[in-house]
Amino acid sequence: MQINYKFKDKFDFWFFVPIILLLSIGLIAIYSATFNNPIAENNFIRQLIWVGSGIIVFFVVYSIPTNTFKNIAWPAYIFTILLLIIVVVMGKRVSGAKSWLYVGSLGFQPSELAKISTILALSSFLSKKEIDIESFKDILLALAIGFTPIVLILLEPDMGTVLVFITIFLTIIFWKGISLFGLFIVLSPGVVAISSMFGTLPFIATLVIVAVILIFFKKGLIFSGSLFAINLAAGFFTDYVFRALSSHQQIRIKSFLNPMSDPLGSGYNSIQAKVAIGSGGLFGKGFLNGNQTQLNFIPEQWTDFIYCVIGEEFGFIGTVITLILFLWIFLKILKIASTTKNEFLSLTIIGILSLFFIHFMINIGMAIGIMPVIGITLPLVSYGGSSLLVNMALLGIVANVYRTRKNYT
Amino acid sequence: MNNFRAFLVLLGVLVLFSIIVAKLVNIQLIRGDELKYFAERQQMKIEKIQAERGLIYDRNNVLLAYNRNDATFYLDLSKTNKQTKEELAEKFSKLTNKTPQFFLTKMKGENKTITLAQHIPLADVRDLMKLKLPGYYYRKGISRDYYYNNFASHILGYVNTQYKGVNGVENYFDRELAGINGQRLVVKDATGKIITVKEDMTKNAVQGNNLFLTINKSYQIILEEEIINGLKKYQGKYVIGIIMNPNNGEILALANSSGYDPNIYWKYTDTERKNRAVTDIYEPGSTFKSITIATLLDQNLVKENDIVFTENGRYKFNNTYVTDTHKHGWLTVSEVIKYSSNIGIAKLVQKIDNEIYYKYLRGFGFGNYTSVSLPGEVKGKLKKPDQWSKISKEFMSFGYEIAVTPIQLISAYSALVNGGKLFKPQIIKKITDASGNIVYNSNPDLVRTVISKNTSMRIRKILSTVVEDGTGTKAKIKFINAGGKTGTSQRLINGKYSKNQYNSSFIGFFPVDNPQIICLVLVNSPKVGKYGGQVAAPIFKRISERIIKGNYNKFLEKKEILIPVDDTKIVYVKKDFQTKGNLKYLDLDFTGNISKARMNVMPNLINRTLSEAISILTKIGLKFKVSGTGKIVKQSITPGTKLRAGLLCNINAKETSLKGVTIY
Repeated sequence: MQINYKFKDKFDFWFFVPIILLLSIGLIAIYSATFNNPIAENNFIRQLIWVGSGIIVFFVVYSIPTNTFKNIAWPAYIFTILLLIIVVVMGKRVSGAKSWLYVGSLGFQPSELAKISTILALSSFLSKKEIDIESFKDILLALAIGFTPIVLILLEPDMGTVLVFITIFLTIIFWKGISLFGLFIVLSPGVVAISSMFGTLPFIATLVIVAVILIFFKKGLIFSGSLFAINLAAGFFTDYVFRALSSHQQIRIKSFLNPMSDPLGSGYNSIQAKVAIGSGGLFGKGFLNGNQTQLNFIPEQWTDFIYCVIGEEFGFIGTVITLILFLWIFLKILKIASTTKNEFLSLTIIGILSLFFIHFMINIGMAIGIMPVIGITLPLVSYGGSSLLVNMALLGIVANVYRTRKNYT
Repeated sequence: MNNFRAFLVLLGVLVLFSIIVAKLVNIQLIRGDELKYFAERQQMKIEKIQAERGLIYDRNNVLLAYNRNDATFYLDLSKTNKQTKEELAEKFSKLTNKTPQFFLTKMKGENKTITLAQHIPLADVRDLMKLKLPGYYYRKGISRDYYYNNFASHILGYVNTQYKGVNGVENYFDRELAGINGQRLVVKDATGKIITVKEDMTKNAVQGNNLFLTINKSYQIILEEEIINGLKKYQGKYVIGIIMNPNNGEILALANSSGYDPNIYWKYTDTERKNRAVTDIYEPGSTFKSITIATLLDQNLVKENDIVFTENGRYKFNNTYVTDTHKHGWLTVSEVIKYSSNIGIAKLVQKIDNEIYYKYLRGFGFGNYTSVSLPGEVKGKLKKPDQWSKISKEFMSFGYEIAVTPIQLISAYSALVNGGKLFKPQIIKKITDASGNIVYNSNPDLVRTVISKNTSMRIRKILSTVVEDGTGTKAKIKFINAGGKTGTSQRLINGKYSKNQYNSSFIGFFPVDNPQIICLVLVNSPKVGKYGGQVAAPIFKRISERIIKGNYNKFLEKKEILIPVDDTKIVYVKKDFQTKGNLKYLDLDFTGNISKARMNVMPNLINRTLSEAISILTKIGLKFKVSGTGKIVKQSITPGTKLRAGLLCNINAKETSLKGVTIY
């Protein structure tokens, strides 16, 4: 294989441009969102510093030897699991969830770091030669790797991040090539769990369907029986988990089903976000002219609801441009994931893609009212240091793999 | 590798993207305008601008009711802490003179907002408004202030918490006083804080009009004090007093003995706040005889010196007895009034035709509203002739079987003594807008002429004999001849005449020849004494003498000689009165020889009104120069200086405002 040593071949300029554009859109929106808000007046400057640091992180990660990722996968995984345990024990509570760890005055969320390390560890595990994703033992091991951070984060509890980890896990094993039945084994307890939240009748109906599918696959009585038992347990366990959720998250999930039922209560954010975006119309109200934004109708709009600022001040044009930039990045990542010959790197990159995509989907989904309001940031755009650095590092990994893509056969 | 799965991922990504785009098209493009409207509606609030209520003055521009900006303080207990509670309890106990414990007790509980202090004038709470404590906040407001508290409460009325007038002129002229509330469009943030005001959409409030009452503050004070004194002395249930100018119907003072403080109206009962002078009716008794006599005189049916036999105190008539307190034999018509003979008047009234008598009574305004501008007026009771029994007319002639309001009776008496003209009683002298332009100026409102000038003159003479040596001698006042009529009527309680409860009244006027003041005093159920002549007449006397004392220039008849007294005061006094004793009574600390009273010394003008000063200086013929308006604060020639031709006196006048009152 011909290796091109020109920089152009090693650095995808058109991957980097949308990243910079999204970071800029984020800065503009944060400036507007915090313009009139005394409690967040320094956030723009802080974000500017984070963006600078993030770009540096991006290039550092871009430059390091590619096999570093595989080498650090397990140490990093164990380290972050330890951090997550520390957080559960002695972390700081911010709006109902205990997810912050402070080193001096600098706070960060270990769950952000765990996103990288879990992707790496899972990819590392699944890319071993002897792994058979169809074997029950290996699926359980993969589940163990994926669900250890999930359980720890559930204890915080941070519903949004749990959702992110589940998506990453499913995407990676899907990419690994799990069979339909394997996917069924992994997914069915989740489906049963969700249906159980809708009441007894959907719960029983789902169990019946699971039983029918198990009979269809004819995998032996003990195997099918134990799988059914796991499903049953998942259903009952959900009730416990739902209660374990912090009350504001419970209410948010409930109000997602009918946000207008309590417009001043928990559905408030959802309605205000939709009103902000909708009132922007086609062209938006102009920079710093978004009333919903400037009058602080949306709480903490520089983090979770940053998309509302874009929607209100720059209208449909602004929201669609943002979407296109994201789509552009996603397609670039997907292309790298599907063309990389190295399985570990391919799995890692698809993991990164799923992480970005689920963030993107939940964040924008809750801003426009098709997802419940669970605190998830919009990558590259929302205010926040640790998530920005982690995201830039992840994108650095993608760029790194692009750089060395021709080294693998 | 994994091309199929990559395609599935791509498909998934694209499908979810399409969903987002579709939703964005829906809310931004399709529902954009609707959501924009929703956003504006929740951000823009229409706020009421409370119009400032008009002020109320007495006839001499003394301010009686005004508005005050104030603040009400709250504490949201769910957001506060112990330290704040203690600090606030400390601060507010100082402000309100309550113990800190009182506030701490009030601050118990968690999820409520308590009011710490309501409607406190801004001047008292400047530092409390600067406090920034968790859960603690205030709202600015406006409240009505009645500067003299209980003063003239039944005339003024009060405003309720919605700033609406209740009772008195506050109620009757509510629309005039209220002004027009404005509104403004404000942009508020999510916490309700006002960010900007849309100036172009603001409609300013129009301040209410100012009322100038016909009330004379000094008369009102006299009336209020004297009816309270009378109430204590004679131990009645209540006393009503009205002072009017009989020549134009202007009410100069009106009071009920149980006044109330409109600033704290909620502490009083409805009964206490009731203005009985217009809302309560009573049977007038003997005071009504003058009306009957006037009718007979006007119809030429009797003459003053006609005589009538009064049956020695007991007169049987249509199986009913009419009795007199004092037994008399033959009385002249004039004496029937003077000695208040029921029998006499009952016999005389038989001379008049029922219809004509009724027409006169209607003419005097009985059985109809006087239309005084005070709320709650009733029309009294006057039966039509076809409802009269065989004895009705005779009983009505001395004030039974007819019920009147005090305001009706005094209006009728005004007509009786002023030359026969019935005027509508007036409470408003003028109404101006906020900048002082006159919107309404009251003129005497002549309802009708009831009796001739001649009849009126004759009645005045008859009524003067009542005071001179009739039943009303206790109403006799110094210096001036007054006329009047006593009245004592058994109170009608549940349809039966009470044996021991009376309405004792007196209506008097002075000076007899040219009545300037007419005054009604009604004492309900006095325990000490019962006759109007014993109870109400002395009250009238005290009121009248104090009025005269306060303004002797106006009432003393035949003003002849100018006497600068003690070089500081100037007074016109009838020659007959020029004795040291009399002058001393009038508070003219005269020490020198009256005959040597000088006209050629500089009088003291300080604290006089500018117009008074000018009139004095004009009278002594001194040249002067004025600067300013209002009360005299400085004069260039010291009082007592001997005057000579060519002197020029510079006088400085200044508007003085009520002490301690800032009008916003």
